[in-house]
Amino acid sequence: MPFQELNHTADYLYRCSGGTIEELFTSAAMAMFSLMFDEREEDAVKIGIKLEAGDFETLLYDLLSELLFLSEVERVVFSGIDITIHDHSLEAVASGEKFDMERHRGGTEIKGVSRYGTEIRQEDGKFLVDIIFDV
Amino acid sequence: MLEGLNKISDIEWEVRKGYVDDMAVPGRIFLSEGLGENLEEGAVKQLANVATLPGIVKYSLGMPDIHWGYGFPIGGVGAFDVEDGIISPGGVGFDINCGVRLISTPLKKDEFSGIKRLINTLFSTVPTGVGNVAPKKFSDSELEDIMREGASWAVKEGYGMPDDVKSCEENGMMKEASTEHVSTKARQRGRPQCGTLGSGNHFLEVQYAAEIMDDEAARAFGIEKDQICFMIHCGSRGLGHQVCTDHLGTIENATKKYGIKIPDRQLACAPVKSPEGEAYFGAMAAAANYAWANRQMITHMVREVIEGDFGVDYNEMKLVYDVTHNVAKIETHVVDGKKMELCVHRKGATRAFGPGSPEIPKDLSAIGQPVIIPGSMGTSSYLLKGTQTAMEKTFGSTCHGAGRLASRSSAKKSHSGADIRQDLLDRGIFVRATSNKVIAEEAPEVYKPSSEVVDIVHRAGLSMKVARLEPIGVIKG
Repeated sequence: MPFQELNHTADYLYRCSGGTIEELFTSAAMAMFSLMFDEREEDAVKIGIKLEAGDFETLLYDLLSELLFLSEVERVVFSGIDITIHDHSLEAVASGEKFDMERHRGGTEIKGVSRYGTEIRQEDGKFLVDIIFDV
Repeated sequence: MLEGLNKISDIEWEVRKGYVDDMAVPGRIFLSEGLGENLEEGAVKQLANVATLPGIVKYSLGMPDIHWGYGFPIGGVGAFDVEDGIISPGGVGFDINCGVRLISTPLKKDEFSGIKRLINTLFSTVPTGVGNVAPKKFSDSELEDIMREGASWAVKEGYGMPDDVKSCEENGMMKEASTEHVSTKARQRGRPQCGTLGSGNHFLEVQYAAEIMDDEAARAFGIEKDQICFMIHCGSRGLGHQVCTDHLGTIENATKKYGIKIPDRQLACAPVKSPEGEAYFGAMAAAANYAWANRQMITHMVREVIEGDFGVDYNEMKLVYDVTHNVAKIETHVVDGKKMELCVHRKGATRAFGPGSPEIPKDLSAIGQPVIIPGSMGTSSYLLKGTQTAMEKTFGSTCHGAGRLASRSSAKKSHSGADIRQDLLDRGIFVRATSNKVIAEEAPEVYKPSSEVVDIVHRAGLSMKVARLEPIGVIKG
C-alpha cells in the first residue's frame, strides 16, 4: 500500500511511502484525494502545477495545499496525478472530474495540511512521510 | 491521570516547569479525574511546549475539553505580552473564528410541531456540505467590505437586525483587520462561500431550553424554559483556511529571522510587534470578520424560513450571543495586580468575560458575558455566563465544547450512520446530513459528554450554568 491511515483522535493521519521522491509525493496526493471524496470516476479534467521550494518537505506541503485550493476553486474532484521533480522544482498534472453536487457533496472537507511531523525519511530503501490532514 | 501532573485541587492540575525543556511558566489544566483518564500525553506535551514561547504570561492553560491539536492543543489558551511576546497561527488554527451563536424564538416546545418539515426546509435553504456554494457570489469589493466590517456588513445589507451586532463578541468585527494581507487565493475561496455552513463538526441545530439553572441570568439573556432556539456552529470557511496556510510560510521564516527557539515546527511564531506578526494578525482579523458575516448570513436564512413556515415575526428572533473559538486578540488583563496588554490565543476555547467587563453588552454588565457551549448532535448544549474567576485564572476563558474521544475512522468502523440517525430519531432528534458517513464520524459517542466538561468549568467557576438546551433537529454538512 503506498499509503495507510494511522489512528488520530481529531484529524486524519496517513503514512505515505514511495520508492522515489516522485512516488512518495504521488502517494501523499492520492491519500488526500481518497480522503476528500469517495466517488471518483473520471479523469477528463487536467490541471498543470509548477512549484519550487527550499526543501522537499515544503515542496510536498505546497503541493498538497495547492491541490486543496484548486479542488475548491476549480471545483474538481481529483483522482490521479503525474509528478516530475528536479532538485526542489516540481511539475505535475493533476487529473479528475468536475464536482457534481449529487455525487460528491458528502465528501470530507480538509481545512489544511499540517506540517507536524512531515519529515521525509528513508527506511529499507523507501521514502516515508507521515501527514496529518486537518478536517 | 498522567504522570508528571501535580494535583492542585479536584479539578485543577499543574504541568510543572521542566515537563519539557525551556518552559518559562508552568501549565494548568482544568480537568476531573474521570475525564483525565482520556487525557492524551501528546496534548499535555503541546500545552507544555506553548509554555516555552517568548513572552508567555502566568500559565499555559488547558480547558477540560483539551485534546491533541496542531501546535497548541485544542482547548488551549496562551496569553503573551504584546511588548516582547509572540503571535502564532498554531495558536489559532486553520478555521479562524470558528464559533457558535444562539438565537431565541418566541415558539415554545409544547406549541411547536413540524420539526421534520423545518429541518428539511433548512437543509435545502442553508448551503451545506463540501462544494456547496452560497446563492450569491460576492464581488471583490463586497468581499473587501465583508472582511473589514464582519457582521455589521451583513446587517447593513439587510441580512439581520441592528441589535445582532451588539450581541456578538467584539461586536462582530475586529477593527484590526488588514485586508491587504489576505491573498488572492484566499479571496477566490471566500467569494462563493459567505453564507455556507461547511462540513465536519459544523452544524445548525434546533433546540429547546430544557432546564433553567440561573433565573436572573436567563431573563437577562432572553431565554425561558421550553423556548425553541437555534444554534449555528461554523467559521471562516476556505478563506480562513487559506489565510492560515498562506501565513504559516511567512511566520516560519520569521521564526528563524528573529531567532525564536521553538520545540515544534507547528509553533512557528513571530513577535506580535513585527511586520510578519502584524500581517498575520491583520489577515486573521479579516478572516474572523468574514466568519461573523457568514454566521450572520445563515442566521438571516434561518429567520426567513421560520418566519415563512411558522408565522414568527423576523424581529422576534433575537440573537442571544455569538462567541468565537479560534482566534488571537489583543486584550487588557490584570496580571499580579498590574494591567497588561496581552495577545490572548484561544484555540478551541471560548471567551468568558465576567461582570463589569467593558467589552460585553451594557445591559448584561451585571451578569457577565453569555457563553455558549455546544454539545454533539445528540447531547446537551449549554448557555453559561462569564465570571470574575475566569478573568483571574484563565484570561477570561472557558471550554468550547465536548472534545473528541475517538478518531473519525474508528467512529465509522464502530457506528453505522443510518443506525445513529435512527437512534437519534427514536430520542426525538431528527438529523439531515449530506451523507451517513458524516453522521457516523460525528456520532455523540465519539465525543466527551458535554455535561461533564461543562460541570468542570462550572465547578471551577470559569463560567456558570444558565440554561441547558436539548436538540430536536440537526443539519450537518
